[in-house]
Amino acid sequence: MIDLLVRYFPMILRGLLLTVQFTFFGVLVGLVLGILLAIGDMYGGKIASTLIKFYVEFFRGSPLVVQLFIFYYSVPITLHIPLLDRFVVGFIVFALNSAAYQKGYIKGAMEAVYEDQMTAALSLGLSRAQSIRYVVLPQALRIVIPAWSNEFCSLAKSTSALLVIGIPELTSAGKTIASWTWRVIETYTLIALIYLLWISVVMKILDILYNRVKIPGIEVTA
Amino acid sequence: MTDIVLECRNLRKIYGKIVAVKDVSLEIREGDIKLMFGPSGSGKSTLARCLAMLTTPTEGDVFLTGECLTRPGVDLNKARARIGFVFQHIWLFHHLTALGNVELALRHVLKSPKKEARERAMQALREVKMEEWANHYPAQLSGGQQQRVGIARALAKDPKIIILDEPTSALDPELTGEVIDTLRDLARKGTTMLVISHEMPFAREVATEMIFFDEGTIVERGPAERFFTNPSSERARKFMARLIKRTRRE
Repeated sequence: MIDLLVRYFPMILRGLLLTVQFTFFGVLVGLVLGILLAIGDMYGGKIASTLIKFYVEFFRGSPLVVQLFIFYYSVPITLHIPLLDRFVVGFIVFALNSAAYQKGYIKGAMEAVYEDQMTAALSLGLSRAQSIRYVVLPQALRIVIPAWSNEFCSLAKSTSALLVIGIPELTSAGKTIASWTWRVIETYTLIALIYLLWISVVMKILDILYNRVKIPGIEVTA
Repeated sequence: MTDIVLECRNLRKIYGKIVAVKDVSLEIREGDIKLMFGPSGSGKSTLARCLAMLTTPTEGDVFLTGECLTRPGVDLNKARARIGFVFQHIWLFHHLTALGNVELALRHVLKSPKKEARERAMQALREVKMEEWANHYPAQLSGGQQQRVGIARALAKDPKIIILDEPTSALDPELTGEVIDTLRDLARKGTTMLVISHEMPFAREVATEMIFFDEGTIVERGPAERFFTNPSSERARKFMARLIKRTRRE
């Protein structure tokens, strides 16, 4: 197994880097979009809230592989335009997909701190936007970290779906190596170990982060 | 005649079919300490929130130093910045220290520079004798200490008036004392206040007027002494008797 790793190191490394990039991009852009969607859903009025609901249902209710197909093949073909760059499509779909999930986590966390804290903030003369920014969000984001680490975990593994649009991420690298060497079991074991390793490292980091930003005196069991 | 700080005229608040506040008119002048009391669920808190424009009245007007707050287009954030509000359940910001709680409005509402905001916040904490606890988070403080920070938070922005909605009723009797002491200090300094409270010894000592509130309206109002010796309405008489009995037991 080690010889596989050594021999195909550049390919595996490239696959891993792509996987890592797509995961971080998806989670971080998804976070920003998720916050905006959560706020839009809570304050945007009926129309915005309905649109957001459709958006979320679409991305949560269909498989990621299908979403990649739709955005990479179906949309350009239906519109008679050339195919877009596969990486661009991949990044966009990942961010949109993750945002749909994160919106739910963030809205839940905001509602958990919402009523009292918002009233107290308004009573001081802060505007609604300031209250969200200085009072509601800082608390909601702390609460959301455990759910967020789940999202990270799941998105990291979902990157394997990118192989259907021809992006040579980690699973795709494994598939290629297995087909060249015929050492299928070894190859996929190796690939699985690499996933396991990098995801556990990130989980550990998130864990440390969670404990660092925890509000003193408040124990939250996640 | 001193100036009227906060006033409401024919204020009415309806939730669905329930009329929580029925056509109440009330004026609070500079230096006044109005003590409002009455059965729970009688609409005292709703009235207090309407006065602070945390809830929009269904009908009637609220005036802050002569400016009508119930007209459309009024900058309510600006108005709220000039009114201090202390909540029954305290509601400090959990993620900020005592100092951070007091500083927040100074930094982002009054836009004071960092250093100035810090000094003013520390001064407010000193006024409630909480300066030593400035760097503690709410969850690390006792209920009484939290409420004192809550008072400092309301006080720091130099409001025209402080409205306190049952500031001690979520605290046990031991902790009530320290908060009442803080309020006594404020009273001595001539702070204009509307206090909803059932702490009768405190009321008798500091209130410039007592207001008995029941079923969404003012039943009786007058000097504190009269309530203790000879309330004119039957309802107030009964309620006072119960309160005084309870206070003696404690």
